Amino acid sequence: MVTPAQNASRPTDPTRRRVLGAAGALAAGGALSACSGFSTPDSGGSGSGSGDGALTMITWASDVESAAFAALADGFEAETGTAVDLQVVPYSEVLTAVDTGLRTDSPPDLFRVSYTDVAAYRRQGVLADLADADTLEPAFLLAFWAAVTDERGTFGVPHHTDTSMVLLNTAAVASAGLGPLPTTLDDAWTWEQFADALARIQPSRADTYAFAANWQNAGAYRWLNFVDQAGGRLLSEDLRSVVTDDPGALKALTFTRDLFRRQLTPANASARGQAASDLFLNQTVATAFAGDFLLSEIEGGGFEYSATFLPRDVNASADLGGNALVAVEASPNRDRALEFLTYCAQAEQMAAFCTAASVLPTRGDIDASSLRYPVRPDLMELYVQQAQAIREPLVQQVVVPSFSAINAQLRDRLDEVFLGGDDDATALRRITDGVAAVLQTS
Amino acid sequence: MSAATTTRATTPGVAPSRRPAVRRWATSYLMLAPALVLFGVFVLYPLVGAVRISLTNSTGIGQAQFVGLANYRAMLADPTFWQAARNTALLAVVSVPVSLALGLAIALLLRERIPGGGLFRAVFLAPYVISGVVVAMAGRWVFDQNVGIVDRVLAGAGLPQPDWQSDGTAAAVSVVLVLLWARSGLAVILYLSALQGIDRDVLEAAELDGASSWQRLREVVWPLMRPTTFFLTVMMVIETFQVFDIVWVMTKGGPAGSTELLVTYAYGQGFAARREGYGSAIGVVVFVVVLAATVLWWRAQRSSEDEQ
Repeated sequence: MVTPAQNASRPTDPTRRRVLGAAGALAAGGALSACSGFSTPDSGGSGSGSGDGALTMITWASDVESAAFAALADGFEAETGTAVDLQVVPYSEVLTAVDTGLRTDSPPDLFRVSYTDVAAYRRQGVLADLADADTLEPAFLLAFWAAVTDERGTFGVPHHTDTSMVLLNTAAVASAGLGPLPTTLDDAWTWEQFADALARIQPSRADTYAFAANWQNAGAYRWLNFVDQAGGRLLSEDLRSVVTDDPGALKALTFTRDLFRRQLTPANASARGQAASDLFLNQTVATAFAGDFLLSEIEGGGFEYSATFLPRDVNASADLGGNALVAVEASPNRDRALEFLTYCAQAEQMAAFCTAASVLPTRGDIDASSLRYPVRPDLMELYVQQAQAIREPLVQQVVVPSFSAINAQLRDRLDEVFLGGDDDATALRRITDGVAAVLQTS
Repeated sequence: MSAATTTRATTPGVAPSRRPAVRRWATSYLMLAPALVLFGVFVLYPLVGAVRISLTNSTGIGQAQFVGLANYRAMLADPTFWQAARNTALLAVVSVPVSLALGLAIALLLRERIPGGGLFRAVFLAPYVISGVVVAMAGRWVFDQNVGIVDRVLAGAGLPQPDWQSDGTAAAVSVVLVLLWARSGLAVILYLSALQGIDRDVLEAAELDGASSWQRLREVVWPLMRPTTFFLTVMMVIETFQVFDIVWVMTKGGPAGSTELLVTYAYGQGFAARREGYGSAIGVVVFVVVLAATVLWWRAQRSSEDEQ
């Protein structure tokens, strides 16, 4: 009988040494591959200045936004003689590009950042204080100005905003007899009216549903709209701790969990699930919360839809979306970078940018109805009204320095409680305990 | 007189023979230098950097403060970390043996000329050579609980349709199935290569001794596959601890953390949550666990071979 050992030493066999060597190398390099960002990846940017006096600005941008930023840069150069070199990177890469520049002492002069990320940079002393803040402040709506301001100064300009509304698939809701949709913020549905409307929408198939909210992943914080509408809070007034057993938060959690329990919303529209806009586009849901920046994508869906305001309870409240433009304190071109921010914050420039990019202005002196939006201008008028419901108490809670960690915690805990069977009070405690743990270590 | 002098005096000829040895070592290290430089720059330096960051409260912006072992202590009390660790271990325990069995079975099939062999080969090898994200996207659509083809087929056959995205067990099954499809190609290739290296005389001798097909597979082929199986096991366990793209695209670790793995959790904490120190600490733990498992497995394999 032949034994395997007789044929065990073929030269092509992997030896133990080679295996362990390969394994060691893979273990070292591979196990940490998810943390590749720790090894300072390529930024995609060339650092501050280009040697010819131009300002560098890192941003993400769609095609239309890219053209709108280019128009701002051209206008600034024509007025001041200073060129602005736009470095457009994918959205997922923009913060990595900025952070890498900051760590290697070659930061950009300017960058675009969401309101919810401003405080993280502000806390580290990265951002330059806006020189013209006193002059500019009166023109801006309070909630947006508050998003870039703390007791030490104003660290950027609120460049534009976006927010969510309820989109309704016209055909899917036709048989529900919803009647005329509310056309002013004051007439917005109450929670009860909203739930009643959803219950009357008959799914066309077994795998279709009435509604999906846009609280998935990075948008988990939009669940706080419900909390604020119910008059509740997640964070304390001083923003340093969590409010436990808040009646408004409990009411919001009960209402939103009921959407799942009553199967008005699909389970895969939970906080880690599919984006609500995707479910609306593939007609899995008849209605969805969606931001105005998604309208051009939804226009490609090939079906008719309309919009109405987010439901209201004690308050009408909407989520803070949109971005600020900021200058880097350590930039050698700091003063000229701040000049560019002031230029972008002027009414004429902001109106032109918002029109081209289909976003909403943050200045109170811009008549939004005069903006000629290329996509669904009829709905953009409603979004402008909805943006007036972005409330400062909610804004303060989502622009804290540790917001990213809080949002990640909210996403994980909401996903558990939306799909889990705990009673509502226990479920709320699970959320607040998770956020409290993050606040302690941040 | 020193010992060295004594040695030189009593063993004439040693000194002249050491020079070529030194030259050989120098040549070896010179040849190794490019690989060592690459290893140092792309593996060792980031590894040391990750350990250093894991001892800080770094957010990725500005200066971080040294916090000692605080991130590791936080990990001990973090239920999501333990859930991710359990999921990762379970994935390794389930997917590695099944991948090996599947790979060997397909390799045995492909070794013979069978009708449709080319198609088989393409179906199982394609996922290995195309992007993991593409494979995961395909998996996501195939297993979509609202519009996916799997549920449509099950509905057509009158069978219950799992909630692939909102039921924890179903989501885990969908990830495992796509993972098996994605990685069985490597096992097929290596087993095919090893099978072709088996001496035909050995199999013929076994056949002449009266061994059945099953006995030949179990008593001759399988033991001869041991080095390949060992190599694949180590590689696949390491790969399991690195699985990211498939989970990230298909489930993002949901629903309710049921498909969260250590690597996806480390990424989420390091980047989405901006807890770079904590994410690094998870990465370091993964590294230590994988290294320890590899060494233990290697020693077990060596003792087993020594006993023979």
